[in-house]
Amino acid sequence: MNEVTIYFFATLRDYVGAKSLQMQLPGEATIGDLKKILIASHPRLSPARDSIMAAINREYAGDEQVIPLHAEIAFFPPVSGG
Amino acid sequence: MQPSKFPTIISITEDELDLDVLLASVTLASTGAAAVFSGIVRGKTRRGDKHKTQYLEYEAYQPMAEAKMKQIANEIRSRWPSVEGIGIVQRIGRLYPKTPTVLIVCSAAHRDTGVFEAARYGIDRLKEIVPIWKKEVGPDGEFWVEGEYKPAPGE
Repeated sequence: MNEVTIYFFATLRDYVGAKSLQMQLPGEATIGDLKKILIASHPRLSPARDSIMAAINREYAGDEQVIPLHAEIAFFPPVSGG
Repeated sequence: MQPSKFPTIISITEDELDLDVLLASVTLASTGAAAVFSGIVRGKTRRGDKHKTQYLEYEAYQPMAEAKMKQIANEIRSRWPSVEGIGIVQRIGRLYPKTPTVLIVCSAAHRDTGVFEAARYGIDRLKEIVPIWKKEVGPDGEFWVEGEYKPAPGE
């Protein structure tokens, strides 16, 4: 198993109700797999599913990317700084 | 990419932005021009959905945001090799109307070598890829502002 830290920001933090979570993932889990797991456990994420951005170790990541060991994952909506 | 011999100032801060200090830190003996962009909290919006804003609450995924701001500085240097100093500073926390929220400064020897375009690129790119968000609070309630751009993996 792979223990990862997941951070949530802006609307997604509100939907999940936590700034971060620790999770145990199967070795070959992808970002897409993790999104499915999180949407199942936090249904409020479901309407936002198509606009959830993901980062692995502080770099943008796609759904097909396999999550490396002990990765720092982040999920957030499209950015709105400036 | 080789580290530039010119200054690159990247910062995310809850403190008041100080343009004079930032400008001084990107000014060299060879500098003859600097383009400055500042974003400001707008209290009254007339374009599009007309509304009033009481304040904005900014938050950042700080380590990734700093890395992406450095990436933008590198992108600016590869597009406008004449740019010398680059400053990109974002203020976060609760910010009220008329308050500067972000500063982008690009300096060069002369004004006609791309500094205006470089500063414009800096703010446009910040709004695309730097993980910072703002919650807008007004008389009718509050909502998180969401951008439209979806960066590609690795972008």
